Amino acid sequence: MSSFSRSAQQWATFARSWFLIDARMQPPGKIATMCSVRLQGKHKPIYHALSDCGDHVVVLNTKHIAFSGNKWEQKVYSSHTGFPGGFKQVTAAQLHLKDPKAIVRLAVYGMLPRNLHRRTMMQRLHIFPEDELPDDIRANLTEELPQPREIPRKLSEYTQEEIDAFPRLWIPPEDYKMK
Amino acid sequence: MAARSTLRSIWTSFAGLKQSFTGTSVNSLRRVNVPQISAIEGQIIEVPAGPPPPNPTAKCPIYRWNLQHKYNYTDVLLLSQFIRSDGGMLPRRITGLCLEEHRKIAICVQMAHRAGLLPDHKPKLPEGHVPKRPKPQLNRYLTRWSIDSVKPIYKSGLKWCKKRMDVGHPALKNNVRYGVKPLYIKH
Repeated sequence: MSSFSRSAQQWATFARSWFLIDARMQPPGKIATMCSVRLQGKHKPIYHALSDCGDHVVVLNTKHIAFSGNKWEQKVYSSHTGFPGGFKQVTAAQLHLKDPKAIVRLAVYGMLPRNLHRRTMMQRLHIFPEDELPDDIRANLTEELPQPREIPRKLSEYTQEEIDAFPRLWIPPEDYKMK
Repeated sequence: MAARSTLRSIWTSFAGLKQSFTGTSVNSLRRVNVPQISAIEGQIIEVPAGPPPPNPTAKCPIYRWNLQHKYNYTDVLLLSQFIRSDGGMLPRRITGLCLEEHRKIAICVQMAHRAGLLPDHKPKLPEGHVPKRPKPQLNRYLTRWSIDSVKPIYKSGLKWCKKRMDVGHPALKNNVRYGVKPLYIKH
């Protein structure tokens, strides 16, 4: 802002901010792209790969993540322990039940650049499976990012007036028994 | 007309009913607990006639209201008019839908059930039924295939021969899109 003093402007430009993202009912890939952009610092006009301008990102509610399609059953996460016969393949559903933070963590890890900065950027990513945050992280938060996907409303969340205001499309015949 | 009214009075002889021929009517069944006799009471529920459709000469209700390519699995108010209380679709000869629209609505209803948008339209389980293994509560949307029928993709192949994961349904590919991005069905 032009009304800031020089030192305040300098601080506002180069300070590391903390972003908050709520991942409830959101696809983990879209959450991960938002995280990776802010961890690298690509949302800032002063970005440079060597200048360590990434911010911290806190992701909440990763236990309530929503995959589109049948990815819970179809998507497979593979790893190898290094020992013979150590090739493990787990579906997304099994991995999520074992560790609710793993899917978002692996998604962000795959979207960061493949260099030595990746590990430090992952250390700046903080993932929490539920709503609870430690107080020191909560004190650091500066901005909350909007959710990428609009959550559709369930039928039980509509008020009776809205249900009545919607016109009936067809008239059932008088002798038809509706169950 | 007299024969019809006597038939109706026999059929609903266990309760007093208000009959009226103005507006629309919906029949619903209810079990009445009378000690030795088990009786089913039918009630004719009156629904006031709403606004007229913009295209009254069409045969299918979706075409009558010009909603052809405009609905999705999230439009639960529309989809709930074509389902029974246990979540199944009503027959086409009753609702009057044309074949393609009936199929599209059935697909959207399936996707809405799998997304958990119709929580009150579940089938009734017998009393005291306890599921053996508690099912994992995973959120999902735009699920094309049934959950138990899908196998994991252990070998997904290289980029030119990748086994893609299906999202949404090709039957809804002609839906109106207000953004620039094309419909992305194979993820």
